[in-house]
Amino acid sequence: MEDAIHIKDLTLQFADVPLFERLTFSVADTEKLTLIGPSGSGKSTLLRCIMGFVSAAAGAIYIQNEKLTARSVWHLRGKMAYVAQEPELGDGFVRDTLLRPFSYHNNRLLSYDETEALQLFDIFRLPRTLMKDEVTTLSGGEKQRIALVTALLLQRPILLLDEGASALDKATKRAVRDYLDARTDLTILSVSHDTHNFSFTGPVVDVTGVSREAAS
Amino acid sequence: MNASDITYGQLAAAYTLLLFPLAVFLWYRVALIGETFLSVLRMTAQLLFVGFYLQVVFSWNNPWINFLWIAVMVLVADASIIRGCGLRPRHFALPLAAALLLGILTPLLLFLFVIIRPEPLLDARYVIPIAGMILGNCLRADIVGIRAFYEAIHKREKVYLNALAAGAQLHEAILPFLREALEAALRPTLATMATIGVVSLPGMMTGVILGGSNPMTAIKYQIAIMLAIFSGTAITVMFAIYLTLGNSFTEYGILKKDLFLSKKK
Repeated sequence: MEDAIHIKDLTLQFADVPLFERLTFSVADTEKLTLIGPSGSGKSTLLRCIMGFVSAAAGAIYIQNEKLTARSVWHLRGKMAYVAQEPELGDGFVRDTLLRPFSYHNNRLLSYDETEALQLFDIFRLPRTLMKDEVTTLSGGEKQRIALVTALLLQRPILLLDEGASALDKATKRAVRDYLDARTDLTILSVSHDTHNFSFTGPVVDVTGVSREAAS
Repeated sequence: MNASDITYGQLAAAYTLLLFPLAVFLWYRVALIGETFLSVLRMTAQLLFVGFYLQVVFSWNNPWINFLWIAVMVLVADASIIRGCGLRPRHFALPLAAALLLGILTPLLLFLFVIIRPEPLLDARYVIPIAGMILGNCLRADIVGIRAFYEAIHKREKVYLNALAAGAQLHEAILPFLREALEAALRPTLATMATIGVVSLPGMMTGVILGGSNPMTAIKYQIAIMLAIFSGTAITVMFAIYLTLGNSFTEYGILKKDLFLSKKK
């Protein structure tokens, strides 16, 4: 099976503090992998590195077998969707936030489907009236779900979730998890410090183990 | 242009006006007295120098010398913007100088070649003061615009990265921030235009009227100048941002961390 994400010998530092040394792992196509580890272990930085937001000290990242470089990052970001831990969506109405990415050149072949958006609202237990609310008035959990809806509307094959459900209540967490788990077309790389109520049916990797192992 | 000239004695007498602010500073112990003397001294020295210099430049009236003078003004403005924004000169000096030149020359040349058409076309009496007026405003607008732009992206990096994550190219992701910066930089000029004549008589007009010209002539010049200033500031801010983008973002589209000299207070 083709790898959706392949991390090879990746060394990551944050302000000279080593986070990972020679980290190697893969996420197979349509696999749903959960990385766990305590806060500060570098899970978030790893996801940001895959998005090309921070650069690695050494090693390489491959997205669908294409190496992530300064040149390729601009279209590789188009294959991934990223939901940050505490997403900040800018300002304007929720509908504007959902619409904005469709004006980008990279997304010119996609078009916004309000019906699909509203269906996702229902599944994620968001009131439909939220469409007309100001983004700045949303709660953390609502922002997380709006970011997730954006990611899904953009039809990216790979989904990166950074504590993607941390601000959600139990029932909503389960609703989000069940929906994503059932999407057999999606590859998901999710990082979390709590596996109890937010992990997928795929493999679970403890990165604290990985980084400690590599460091010793 | 022969209004009653001020004698140096009269000019010296004008300095007695300083007694009032100095008295206020003394009375309330405002710690501005030293700075006041320094600023007044600088103003006097700079203006006297420029006065003598302009006399020479006007008598030569050579387009190349005029251009050289504009270049000197641009370099001084360039340095002052970089200092005003607390930016690293290495990244910004060249692109900013280019943005300032474009901001001045575009309206200036239109003003001279199409609108006023003085004889000779590059008459120092027109080139130097008009370029100076436009430049002064470009300087202020660039400081506001550049600061607003880079600080907004720095402070709201998550919003910016969110756009990149959604597939935006650099020019698409910066668009909301560019819009904000242009607004912040151009709004003061708009406000000036909306209140000019009622709230303040601008310096240039005062000069022309005292210099003996008809007030109506002065006003017509003033209108044309304000339009040139507005267009110059819009041009310079846009270029100041676009031309500094290349040095300010990594190839991955991430804002470099070392743009500002130090953390702002």
